[in-house]
Amino acid sequence: MISRSPSRFCRLHETIRPYERNVSSPARAHPTNALVGPLGTSSYPLSGAGPLVGLRLAVKDNICTKSLPTTCSSKVLQDYHSPFDATVVSLLWNNGAEIVGKANCDEFGMGSLNLYSVHGPVVNPFGLQGEESAAERRSAGGSSGGSAAAVAAGLCEAALGTDTGGSVRLPASYCGVVGMKPSYGIISRWGVVSFADSLDCVGVLARDIDTTRRVHDSLAVWDHRDPTAAPPHVRTRAKRVSESALEYLKSETLAGLRIGVPREYFPSELEQSVVAPLRSLLNQLRARGATIVPVSLPSTPYALSAYYVISSAEASSNLARYDGIEYGMRVEPPPGANFTKTANVYAYTRSQGFGREVQRRILLGTYALSADAFENYFLQAQRVRKLIKADFDRVFCIPSVLNSPSSPISAGPSEGVHVLIHPSAIRTAPALPTLDSEGNPEDGTDAPTSTLDAYVQDVMTVPASLAGLPALSIPAGTGADGWPIGASVVGQWGSDELVLKVGEIIERCRGDT
Amino acid sequence: MYERRDRGYTEAACLAVGSRCCFPGVISHEARTLKFSEIVILVIFTAPIARNGRLQLDKDDIVVRVKQLQLEQDTGKSTSYPRTRTTAIDLNRAGMGLMEIVSEPDMRSPEEAGDYVRTLQALLRSVGSSDGNMEQGSFRCDVNVSVNRVGDPPGTRCEIKNLNSVKFMMVAITCEAFRQIALLERGVPVAQETRGFNEEKAETYSLRSKEDAPDYRYMPDPNIPPLLIGSAYVNAIRERMPELPDATRERLLAQGLSQRDVEVLMDVDSGREVGLDGELGRGAVAYFDEVSRGRDPKAVVNWITHELLGQLAFRNETFRENPISVEQMGELVDLVQGGKVTGTSGKTILRHILSTRSSDLPSKIAEDFKLIASDDDGASLEKWCREAIAALPQQAEAVRQGNPNVVNKIMGHVMKASRGTAKAQDVRAMLLKLLQQ
Repeated sequence: MISRSPSRFCRLHETIRPYERNVSSPARAHPTNALVGPLGTSSYPLSGAGPLVGLRLAVKDNICTKSLPTTCSSKVLQDYHSPFDATVVSLLWNNGAEIVGKANCDEFGMGSLNLYSVHGPVVNPFGLQGEESAAERRSAGGSSGGSAAAVAAGLCEAALGTDTGGSVRLPASYCGVVGMKPSYGIISRWGVVSFADSLDCVGVLARDIDTTRRVHDSLAVWDHRDPTAAPPHVRTRAKRVSESALEYLKSETLAGLRIGVPREYFPSELEQSVVAPLRSLLNQLRARGATIVPVSLPSTPYALSAYYVISSAEASSNLARYDGIEYGMRVEPPPGANFTKTANVYAYTRSQGFGREVQRRILLGTYALSADAFENYFLQAQRVRKLIKADFDRVFCIPSVLNSPSSPISAGPSEGVHVLIHPSAIRTAPALPTLDSEGNPEDGTDAPTSTLDAYVQDVMTVPASLAGLPALSIPAGTGADGWPIGASVVGQWGSDELVLKVGEIIERCRGDT
Repeated sequence: MYERRDRGYTEAACLAVGSRCCFPGVISHEARTLKFSEIVILVIFTAPIARNGRLQLDKDDIVVRVKQLQLEQDTGKSTSYPRTRTTAIDLNRAGMGLMEIVSEPDMRSPEEAGDYVRTLQALLRSVGSSDGNMEQGSFRCDVNVSVNRVGDPPGTRCEIKNLNSVKFMMVAITCEAFRQIALLERGVPVAQETRGFNEEKAETYSLRSKEDAPDYRYMPDPNIPPLLIGSAYVNAIRERMPELPDATRERLLAQGLSQRDVEVLMDVDSGREVGLDGELGRGAVAYFDEVSRGRDPKAVVNWITHELLGQLAFRNETFRENPISVEQMGELVDLVQGGKVTGTSGKTILRHILSTRSSDLPSKIAEDFKLIASDDDGASLEKWCREAIAALPQQAEAVRQGNPNVVNKIMGHVMKASRGTAKAQDVRAMLLKLLQQ
């Protein structure tokens, strides 16, 4: 009875073999620290056919690759080799892309500055241009900082990231590249290491909209292995309801296109220098015939808290699998250790394997799920999430096909908008703190107040994540310090094509100036 | 990274829902899924997919109310070895679909609990929802036991986990009841707790008390979309649901079968296989139904229960290994019923097919072995009888002297000569006729 066949236990262990770290790899030596581990070119020979031929891509290190290690930038998975490729990786490969390597990120995707990584922080390539003496070390944003930096530094044309609360859009904004978080369920999560399953999305970062679209379209296919993937008929319905809006964009003028500007996305934390470029962008769109409509999403101020409760709760459940028994790092308990509880054994591995930020979120999430706090934290956050979704449904004229899984789809408000535009981040890229020998920021940026400051970076991006909406960050000029800022385009669920189309128009507007 | 729910599990559960312990019109359209992770195991709890069922027990005349049926994910199994202070973990079943059926406290004795489990087991097998195999762990019970003096309200209950045979379950209930009675008689209150059962010592032991029940911190699993069970789906399942044991029993009795014959058929039937896909193996009842089509059901059941099952048992084979096709069995019954072969010859043919696994029809075998009853208006019968009388003059004389019992001896000689094709009654009549002339 004990073991009639090799258990899952054994099978998992067989798949784990230490990889040989190629320390001399040129990608690792790059001053941005964007790519980690060995180079991928040798392991992924070109397939030579498909729409992505000629594109070099980096893949965020929390997406499983068979031929390259998948560390999630965590010590606990530092030597982990996935036995299979994520669906998105197979799709890239099958469509002819070249995979150049794995991109640095915040540990398990938790962070907004790409600071918390076993591979060290990612440096924003924007400050590394020109003379070395003039180099300015700023954050590339997180958690997909390596993906954004690799694209910005020209190490690849595009990169895959993951976006749980803004992890694609924020680094895209800081690094001055395009970052697309598709609608939740459009791109397969099979093989993507879970952080918060109800929020996690695979996203695309690239130099321009055209490349972003090429990659996005190759990946946006239904995958039966992802139980949360939107089934084909839902995709078709979503496409149909946003068709009329796409009609407006075919003509030279944008007459008929209604763009909403949510007033709650200009909070006190927002740097004033971010507003001016956005205003000029909106003026350009208006000049081309679009109608700019001020709208209100009143639940926005509660989004950040709800996001951190929900994402941490899900993370605490997901990360319970790193216990030093199944796979990844194992720290043997010292002789004489207390074995009376299994948790005592896990504690050694988890204390050493997880970084400070991951530990912080696990504790936060564990608390939110405890019997005493469940109602006031977890359930309350779920209610806020519903309100946020309802806010969006109220302002979009395109109805959500998810609200009415069977026809007929009730039409959205006739006065509603097609897309929303708002700043992607509250500021330009912040400076990187210097770290002490243990990897902790020296200047006290790990103090509680500063942790909250870091969380505030996500204030503009989490509402679309909570609602599962497509959101695109596109370069929109520079702030007062001359560093890039991004504008975000958010659409109704499933109108990814419309969002990319509006992004293309913005790209054209910027080209005109 | 996460499990995909297999449609089969839902279907198995719905089969159970649609079955006799059915839950009229309460298929839930909202299923909330919860998960907690501990060690290496994910467990998925869902809100019940059905509620408020009733199960009429087979032997005891009571109805047990079924509170709810819910889908979960099976966990791993851990086995502790106290001597080496180690625990072995078997994850072979981890992640598989599991259906939990919760009854109300309607049973008053270990025997009634045993009857409930057996009735439920037979029901789940009959619809192909589970093979109900307790040894292999595909059917397990947790039992809540409480004692009270007649007239008093129910006492504090203790839960005994993971009992894997009806026999041990009944022993465990008895042990636990005596333990609780002993406590109460000493004036010690029973503490609500979860207990395990030691089969060797026949005693229960504390696993954890109510106070240290763990906070599982479970939460809705975002990877599992809501399970919507439409009425069309349930109706489709109801339509292709096999006959339930109650209906089978009634139908067979109505065909004139004895209570005993029905029990034998259904007992054999409940041992049939349930495939991994819930596909049912063909059981004894189906075999009977096919053979008895257009034939006398009583004759057919006699051939199946007495001769076929008897011979199989003698050969240490199970019904599953029965090589005799419906066609062969049908023709065999026809041959005997129509007087083409004698009952004795019929049994010979049956044994012949069992031992040679021949696929020949019984009529061909009968011809090959010259077992066809002689049909020459008694000419050969008379010949055999005259020969026998000539061969056994002493015995023949005894019969003539008025000692009719001796005729059996001469009959044996005739039967031997006819190789069993002569009918005993006819032989006796012919001998008496010849000897009393």
